[in-house]
Amino acid sequence: MSEHESDSNVATFIGISLVFALALFFGTTEIYGNDFNGDGKTEMLDVAWMIPVFPIIAFVAILLFGHYDPRKGGSFALVGIGLSSVFSLAIAYDVLIADSLHGKYYEYTMTWFEGATADSYSFEFGIYVDALAALLLLVVGLVSYLVVVFSTSYMHDEGDRQVRYFAEISLFVGVMLGLVVANSFLLMFIFWELVGVCSYLLIGFWYEKPSASSAAKKAFLVTRVGDVFFLLGLVILFNTFGTLTYSELFNHPDLAIAENADAVKWASLCIFGGAVGKSAQFPLHFWLPDAMEGPTTVSALIHAATMVKAGVFLVARTYPLIVLSPDTAIYIAATGAVTAFIAASMAMVMNDIKRVLAYSTISQLGYMFLALGTGAWAAWHAADHGLEVHAQGYMAGLFHLMNHAFFKALLFLGSGAVIHAVHTQDMREMGGLRKSMPITSTAMGLGVLSIAGFPLMSGFWSKDEILESVHHNGEYEGIFGALWWLALLTAAMTAFYMTRLWMMTFSGPEERVIEKMVKSKDHAKTGNWELKTEKVKSHAHEAPFVMTIPLMILATLAVFSGLALVLGDGFGARVYYGEHHGEDGFIQWKIIDHILLSPLTHLSVMVGLTGMLFGVLFYRRGADGKAAFSTSFVTENSVTRVFHTFLSNRLYMSKFFNWFGMRTWDTFARACDWFDLNVIDGIVNGVASVSQYFSQQVRRLNSGFTGHYASLTVGGLGALVLLTRIIMPFMGWSL
Amino acid sequence: MIEPINFMIFSSILLLIGAYGVIRNKNSIVVLMSVEIMLTAANVNFIAFSSYYNDLTGQIVALFITTIAAAEVAIGLAILLSLFKQRDTIELDLLDRLRW
Repeated sequence: MSEHESDSNVATFIGISLVFALALFFGTTEIYGNDFNGDGKTEMLDVAWMIPVFPIIAFVAILLFGHYDPRKGGSFALVGIGLSSVFSLAIAYDVLIADSLHGKYYEYTMTWFEGATADSYSFEFGIYVDALAALLLLVVGLVSYLVVVFSTSYMHDEGDRQVRYFAEISLFVGVMLGLVVANSFLLMFIFWELVGVCSYLLIGFWYEKPSASSAAKKAFLVTRVGDVFFLLGLVILFNTFGTLTYSELFNHPDLAIAENADAVKWASLCIFGGAVGKSAQFPLHFWLPDAMEGPTTVSALIHAATMVKAGVFLVARTYPLIVLSPDTAIYIAATGAVTAFIAASMAMVMNDIKRVLAYSTISQLGYMFLALGTGAWAAWHAADHGLEVHAQGYMAGLFHLMNHAFFKALLFLGSGAVIHAVHTQDMREMGGLRKSMPITSTAMGLGVLSIAGFPLMSGFWSKDEILESVHHNGEYEGIFGALWWLALLTAAMTAFYMTRLWMMTFSGPEERVIEKMVKSKDHAKTGNWELKTEKVKSHAHEAPFVMTIPLMILATLAVFSGLALVLGDGFGARVYYGEHHGEDGFIQWKIIDHILLSPLTHLSVMVGLTGMLFGVLFYRRGADGKAAFSTSFVTENSVTRVFHTFLSNRLYMSKFFNWFGMRTWDTFARACDWFDLNVIDGIVNGVASVSQYFSQQVRRLNSGFTGHYASLTVGGLGALVLLTRIIMPFMGWSL
Repeated sequence: MIEPINFMIFSSILLLIGAYGVIRNKNSIVVLMSVEIMLTAANVNFIAFSSYYNDLTGQIVALFITTIAAAEVAIGLAILLSLFKQRDTIELDLLDRLRW
């Protein structure tokens, strides 16, 4: 079967599965549109509980029947995730566009188990949907479906291992959706851990590669450090308020009283610790670049839809607690800004295309946390001064989350298509792919413009909102001024390294000159090698359209999703914390005026364009396939070389942790090892050798002579008689 | 009437003679015969107490034992026969392969 034939088969199949999903969706809402939460009306949200269930059913089905499927489980994954995507989008439409909740929330709970008495704790689980959850459903549902479609083609060469891949992907998406719609912190924590397990499985998909299996372990263990804090935070909350259900906790009468201020502060800090681990914030950021060892589609999923977005979601979910604690808010904002800056600086020197994107993700997540922390501080500040609470940062951070999901999924899938075509991840070996991969290069170009904050692209709107909210806070609290500078600098660096990535990958001639060592003509005699230059034409070709269609959809979203801010009622009219300001018509001219005329916007656009300009100047490949402007002055100059080495070695963080680990835990482990070998094993071996010695002696009774056995029997009988008939009566014993 | 104690002494002596024969003899056939003597000792006890208590059960058991002893001797002799075919001896001292 030729490749094109198989592609059109895949496309047909995807079409059929979508139609099936839609049919089932409308069928289900008709049949099962029961009033689950008992509010007297049957509504779209009553089917929300099915969203995480479909991919989990698909997971079980793939494990059981995946091998019989000609797509090796892909069919089940497409149908299961497709179904939950359709449901998610329907609910996102219902909540975010049709505004069915009016800023309230939908809840449906069931009791899992309860205590014996009426006042004892009963564990409830259920569904909680508000604008925040609906936004996450939109992002996760859409992006994960596109990633799975992309995977059916991308993973095609893996053969039977696709069964494992699709099973794990389905579970991953299912538990992430479960995390989003969970109605209590405890249920969320369960899904949170399952997300960690799935990421472990998927990062270590090629587990026979030592680097992949160690990256998987690293991801699991480092996020586990955060998870311990998360659990600690939940323990504090439960001890203080006696509940972990959102609706009960956030409306708790004792939430804001002064006696609980410390508990709220420590609980929110600890919960943020969980987000730091999951969302790869400084100082727990170093697992994410290593997580690039998994298949590129997994990276796209982790970076755009699942896993790292869970941390941002967690902080947004904990907002009612964070706004009570300015310390936590400042800490979150500072962590975000510092992470954004550090990660962006490392992204500038990486040569692995996926690592650049990984650091870019860390940096953009830093932006989101900066925005969320800023918004929480502003909300606290306003409440403290008796003003109207308006957390612009909350809206800005979540807006950036949505936009980032689209352009980062686009960039990762695009880099996947590139890697698929050139079979390398090193950008130095790429170049000149623009002509052979027109769709991919255009789509990725749009993604680069978007993340760099090019005016009117989606990244522009959300980054501008973030910078504005931070700058606004800077008027009241000096530290936010410093964070604003960091964020502005990061914006420039972001534009620079993303332009660098695109230029190194796509610009330049298709043919390039490479130098390599070859055996010279008289090699047999002299053993000499000589340097030979050779022209090679890259054999890259455009990816099949099962892979490019998701790219095109994502590129469209990456360009236009920013307009959600100003179209209709505006993004901020649905996703907000505190008060929100009114709507004026189909297009929010007020916001557009506000953004486009602000000097802050002009500044950030200038900064971004400067970064892009430097990126083009330094890294655009000329006719010879080399960068037009040599960067060797960076590595030759002794001052900049120090920085370059420092950044290339990723701030020596991994090295430091390895060294620290060797010094402390390794010593401790060696001591334990010695104790185990000498003391524990000594006792065990001693007991064993004593009994062995005695059994060596006793075995000689087994002589092989019948007479010996017979005399032992008779002697034994005699001894028994002697004992029971003579000794025991004589001594007065009885049995 | 003879006291049961006399029968018990008689059967004990028979048992010890049998046991001595089993332990001391090198010849497998003599060992088998000694086993028969030990079974006879048990039989004597059964019959004596059967008569003493006026209960026929003991005598029935004695009949069974006689039958089983006959069967056992048949099997034992068959084993010894095949043993002799294989190993050319039935001297017990020479048959000591089954040991540590």
